[in-house]
Amino acid sequence: MTSSAQKEEPTVGSPAPRQRGRATIDTLSIGCLAMVEKDGRPRRAEILSIKETKSGRQFYCNFDNFNKRLDEWVPAPRIHFDQDVEWPSPEKPKEPSKKTIPPVAKKTTVTKKTPKRPAVTREDSIISEGETPHPWTEFTESQKATPDAEGDITLALDLDATPDADDDAMDVDEATSEAVAAKSQAPEQFNNEEEKKRLRHGGSMTQNQAEISRIRNISKVQFGKYDLFPWYFSPYPEVFTQEDLMYICEFCLNYYGDVKSFTRHRQKCTLLHPPGNEIYRDDYVSFFEIDGRRQRTWCRNLCLLSKMFLDHKTLYYDVDPFLFYVMTSRDQNGHHLVGYFSKEKESADGYNVACILTLPQYQRKGYGRLLIQFSYELSKIEGKLGSPEKPLSDLGLLSYRQYWTENMIEILLDINETEEKCSIDALAGRLAMTSGDVESTLQALKMQVYLKAEHKIVIPTHLIRRHEALREKQKTKPKRTINPELIMWKPPVFPASSRTWAW
Amino acid sequence: MAPSRVVRQRKLNKGTPQVVLREDQIESTEYASLQNQYHVETGVERSEENEYHLQAALKASSGAKDEVKEIPAPPAQESSNIKYDALYARQFHDPYTYIRFSNTVEEASGCSYDMTTEDDDFLKAYNQKRSAAAKCSEDDFEKIMDVFEQTAQSQAPYASVDNTLVPFERMESEVSKFFRRREFPSDPLPREVTVEKLVAFAKDIYDHWKDRRQASCNNPIQPSLKLEIHQENDDGDPYVCFRRREVRPTRKTRARDVQSTDKLKKLRREIEQGFNLVNLSFSRELTKRDMLKQGREIFESRAKFKLIKVKLGIKSEDEEYLINQKPQRRKQPSDFPQMQRTPGTQIRLPGRSDGRPLEADLVLLSDLHAKKEHNLQRDIEEKTRQHLKWNANHIDLTREPLSPVVYGPDAGFRPATAQYQYLMTPPSSVTSECFDQPSPSNANANEILEPRTFRYSTPPEEDEQRSQPAYRRRIGRGGRLWIDRRGMSGIKSTDDGVSFDRWKYDQDDDDEQPVYEMDPYDTKALRFRATIPFPQHLYPQRPQHRPAAGSPPSARPAGQQQPPPPAVAPT
Repeated sequence: MTSSAQKEEPTVGSPAPRQRGRATIDTLSIGCLAMVEKDGRPRRAEILSIKETKSGRQFYCNFDNFNKRLDEWVPAPRIHFDQDVEWPSPEKPKEPSKKTIPPVAKKTTVTKKTPKRPAVTREDSIISEGETPHPWTEFTESQKATPDAEGDITLALDLDATPDADDDAMDVDEATSEAVAAKSQAPEQFNNEEEKKRLRHGGSMTQNQAEISRIRNISKVQFGKYDLFPWYFSPYPEVFTQEDLMYICEFCLNYYGDVKSFTRHRQKCTLLHPPGNEIYRDDYVSFFEIDGRRQRTWCRNLCLLSKMFLDHKTLYYDVDPFLFYVMTSRDQNGHHLVGYFSKEKESADGYNVACILTLPQYQRKGYGRLLIQFSYELSKIEGKLGSPEKPLSDLGLLSYRQYWTENMIEILLDINETEEKCSIDALAGRLAMTSGDVESTLQALKMQVYLKAEHKIVIPTHLIRRHEALREKQKTKPKRTINPELIMWKPPVFPASSRTWAW
Repeated sequence: MAPSRVVRQRKLNKGTPQVVLREDQIESTEYASLQNQYHVETGVERSEENEYHLQAALKASSGAKDEVKEIPAPPAQESSNIKYDALYARQFHDPYTYIRFSNTVEEASGCSYDMTTEDDDFLKAYNQKRSAAAKCSEDDFEKIMDVFEQTAQSQAPYASVDNTLVPFERMESEVSKFFRRREFPSDPLPREVTVEKLVAFAKDIYDHWKDRRQASCNNPIQPSLKLEIHQENDDGDPYVCFRRREVRPTRKTRARDVQSTDKLKKLRREIEQGFNLVNLSFSRELTKRDMLKQGREIFESRAKFKLIKVKLGIKSEDEEYLINQKPQRRKQPSDFPQMQRTPGTQIRLPGRSDGRPLEADLVLLSDLHAKKEHNLQRDIEEKTRQHLKWNANHIDLTREPLSPVVYGPDAGFRPATAQYQYLMTPPSSVTSECFDQPSPSNANANEILEPRTFRYSTPPEEDEQRSQPAYRRRIGRGGRLWIDRRGMSGIKSTDDGVSFDRWKYDQDDDDEQPVYEMDPYDTKALRFRATIPFPQHLYPQRPQHRPAAGSPPSARPAGQQQPPPPAVAPT
């Protein structure tokens, strides 16, 4: 958190606005803030990269207050050149690229002390914007990471040229060197160091993003039956950034840029399920436990794959200290990877989940809830209270909130009926959640009140109604849950020798 | 917050039980005013916390409206142009049990080189010129390329920097070495020929490999992850991933603290002990030195004394002046018997004052052994007596009981003694008290010195010979009277062809005496035997002739424990 606070500080405090002015397609450079059309309306966006394609120049835009997964390559016609752009401050060349989100954030949202007002304004805009459909087909079509045939003059931040390899190539492109310089910038470096120190011994989520990794590098992935459109950067071998389509074997998760290679691999690959022990099976899903130390290749492949959909996941360090719990669905072709969560073998912070992901083709089908439930069932077996590693992603937060809310409401309604009392710790114990998570959920749902000199938990009517509706729905279509009795698992014990992660 | 009355709240303790209410159980006006404005820790990174779609979704989920907001994300699509069933042709059959699996990806996916389109073009062109028999298969091509790549990796790991290229001679030997180790089950040709063929392929493929290698700046042809190479630019490069972790520091806990203080204490104690040892041996050496000094003084004084005696012409026994030797000597042997050994180098052992030879005091090893043996023997006897006592009058009424330990060589069996002259007559009845007890004469005869076999329900050792027929009378369940026999020649029904066949070829020696079968119950034989006693030599030679079941076809009920082999037949 300190790092992000530091990032925010200078922009909030900077009194001098940036230089504004009109731009043309040729003068628009990396780091500029311009109004760009998104979902039918102009939005402030930062230009992160520029490339030439057959159809003209394209700009990689990060939209103000939109998650990075919505970043896209935008052709020039979508940029409103009739409005002023904000130029990157010349005296501090690295600043614009660093601090794009915060200055924007300053405008729409204000600090936490007055959270109500921006929420109201935002709500208005949400309602009005809610109806606009997301033209995903268009979006995905336009997102090839690399230019076509002739577009060799990519101005993207050193996507294909390692900065140190050819120095003269660099000063051709000022922006590239800026970005490279930004990487080694002093204050940021300090934070990076801090974070690396933290991550050296454990953990898998980072709050620092390297500059280059802000740009999606893989355009499209064929995975099993599906085409996946990555959301974020993933450090697959750099040559793959030039491929229109990358192939990933559904079972061993190996990656191929060449279709012949992939086909050949498929002829030889004998895996039909994740390479570990099955620890759970019902008629819907299975879970496998995989040790990062023993299945290094597979787990690395899994991390690379999931990095395409997890922004804050870091692959800086190796997978040894993690166990991977992989959820699959079966058919006659084998166990298909649906999602997974990783877990530190020994978490100093009491986390029971490091990274958690449902693959996009299985999202919004209730699999995330199963993953979360499974993670808590394991914690129950261990006799521990668990919590997911922070930072959470937006989707992660929503999934966890939903899981927490549903389970807590159910227990609280029972308690309400029997007219008993319940402490936060007791709730935490029953759900294997940390008391901090229980508390924050209660607060977020506005259930924690102070009434007649006593703290009380009040269940809001709308949540009761929603819960009843959910129950009603389950009568016709039962919700999938994990049956704890089918888990065949003992908490793995690691001898001291294997707990030192050095090779 | 209610501006009218500002309530100072008590701090919320997580352990305090709280009342759980429904919203409709309190006044609605109050509820609105009572809600605390907490800043809720979301766990999302702060710069993203305010993201538009997230806020919308959070608002929707905690708000009163029943709408569900979703965060938009680029969705996945079903691939349009994929032959899934061709690509994923293997069929999966779900095993009944949970899968247990430990192969790695490398082990499960065969040859690690996967040919590319470029390779494919090359191979097709290459094979076009060749006859069907001399074509290089894709598998062989991949194996050869794999050997090239691996050899290059091991022989020239810095090829990308110094641009070394492993020459073909090197490769050739590696390729032939690689293929020589393999089996070619599908190939009808002898291995040597196959290997030669493959090496010939390798020669042609080498140039192709070289071209591809050069095209990729002498890096491995297959794209690989960037791992750390400990260069300065490693750190900032986002493509460098999976760095080594460092040794996790052990967490400081009270237990660990105690552990380490204990360790330190122990170490200190041990060092102190060593120190003391050195100190003590130092003082011991000092004492020794003093002793030597004194001994020398004594010697010198004696010499002087002797001189004076000679001078003064006193003639008496020297011994009385040399008393100091006596008690000193006497004390030693009893305290340190071994110490006596050290002067064993002396040619003659000094005589003892009391005239006994030194050896008399020594404990002999053989004596010790004998004593130990004796004790052991006594112990065993004591225990057996105890056991006998425990098991006395033991009657187990359970079904298939764990029968009591059988004592004595015969466990109640009596030999059919000469008085019956091997007539198959049961012995005269005995009183029921001595059921399953060795008859008194027997018990006395072999006392307890016989080694005993303690056996419970284990199957009995195969009795090798039962030279003498024996009988036992028991009362079974329901008061039935059993006569157990043993040492009988098997009753062989003459029509039992199977068991006869079974032993037909099971003769070790040709010169063995022919065995004549006889049925002891055959009345003819009985009648005959009534007149003529069997020759003695017939009995010990029967072992191979016994029925296959291994147990004599006696009236013994099933499941009963077989008695141990009889010891040497008594008289």
